Amino acid sequence: MITLIDVHKSFGALQVLRGIDLHVTKSEVVVVIGPSGSGKSTMLRCMNALEPIQKGKILIEGIDITDPKTNVNKVRQKIGMVFQSFNLFPHKSALENVMLAPMKVQGKSRQEAEAVARDLLAKVGLDEKAGGYPDQLSGGQQQRVAIARALAMQPDMMLFDEVTSALDPELVAEVLNVMKDLALGGMTMVVVTHEMGFAREVGSRLIFMDGGVIVEEGDPRQMIANPREDRTQKFLGMVL
Amino acid sequence: MDQLTKYYFNWEILRDTFPLLIRALGIVLELLVLGLIFSFIFGLILSLMRLSRFRPIRWIAGAYVDFFRGLPLLLLLTFIYYGLGLVGSRSGLRFLILDPIPAAVLGLTLCYAAYSSEIFRAGIQSIHHGQMEAARSLGMTYGQSMRYVVLPQAIKIVVPPLTNELIAMIKDTSLASVITTPELLFRAREKMGVVANPTPLTAAAIVYVVFTIPLIRLAARLETRQGRRRSPVDVSADIAGQLPKGAGPV
Repeated sequence: MITLIDVHKSFGALQVLRGIDLHVTKSEVVVVIGPSGSGKSTMLRCMNALEPIQKGKILIEGIDITDPKTNVNKVRQKIGMVFQSFNLFPHKSALENVMLAPMKVQGKSRQEAEAVARDLLAKVGLDEKAGGYPDQLSGGQQQRVAIARALAMQPDMMLFDEVTSALDPELVAEVLNVMKDLALGGMTMVVVTHEMGFAREVGSRLIFMDGGVIVEEGDPRQMIANPREDRTQKFLGMVL
Repeated sequence: MDQLTKYYFNWEILRDTFPLLIRALGIVLELLVLGLIFSFIFGLILSLMRLSRFRPIRWIAGAYVDFFRGLPLLLLLTFIYYGLGLVGSRSGLRFLILDPIPAAVLGLTLCYAAYSSEIFRAGIQSIHHGQMEAARSLGMTYGQSMRYVVLPQAIKIVVPPLTNELIAMIKDTSLASVITTPELLFRAREKMGVVANPTPLTAAAIVYVVFTIPLIRLAARLETRQGRRRSPVDVSADIAGQLPKGAGPV
């Protein structure tokens, strides 16, 4: 579903990605870990063309999104993305946050969009908060609304960019549980995170990145128990 | 003291002048409403041009804004009314000859579009780029993201500074008197000539100030309210502010 071929990305002189090859298949949950500055978030942002790349190819369901002729707006509808800082629209209620894109992008009627939105908010346990504005919600609630908002476009895959890093510790579980349900439902997911418990329990593949390359990848449980590479070992020693 | 009252607060003259000025107020309002509508629309367009991906568009808008911010409005009005009018009558290009009111509206619009575009631009830029990214990642186009996500938030932020622009514009409508627009100051000066006494200017001053002071108070209130509202609310923006600014095209 997602294929990265020799992806290079730099911000000015700073090389952030130095040749990433990755293939994510349907219903896979790929968990990406690595020290800050390793390029893991940048890689994720490249997957829906939020960042342009300098070299290589990124294919989403066979469509090359690095081709200037590709309509990225179309492709992005297939990719849900959730951000560390939530990025809910503060001038809209939870319900309206979820309804906006289906109405404006997919051309759904208000009733249709609202039905879908209420369903999704119930799914993330927030049916009672539908009318609440982002500043009236806790971080965990905001992030669950953000997940519902992304799901409202009926994406084929979801990208999660350190979605629990900005949350108070007691709010992390409610968000991870929603993500776990999604994974169990067969959603294809790429998850950049520091939550090793989630990686072990939910991940179908673990990727360790450092210095803009994929250093090691494999089965999460095996890799966490027996990392092959020194760098992986060192990093795991610090986060576990 | 007697002299002061006689020349500046002459009651009889004041009484005669006010009805005249109230009628002239209609022209002030006309200049104001038209000038506001046109300059805010044009200013918004200019601000979007300045934020464009394409350098020539940014450059054109930037040059326009710099030029009209630097130009005295009085000169511009004189040029539009007398300058273009002169060329129009000499060359037979009749469309260059404008009546005072359209000429004044044009001058106000050209200048105030430049001023307000700076305010709109600052407002748009103050919206965290995560908003645009979130909208784009949902599949919205740049235009949709601007229209439904960024601009509604930016508008709220720019209301207080735009109120200040409105106040400045009320005062600047008086410049239109030099191009014979029969507005407030024009009528007051006319009357001053007739009665050979500057009291009509006092009357005009009172009308302007009665008009502007409530707006000045309103602008101040809006500013403090916004200051209060923005501080406790936006925790997410604080967190996001620590992230590296992704300067990519979204």
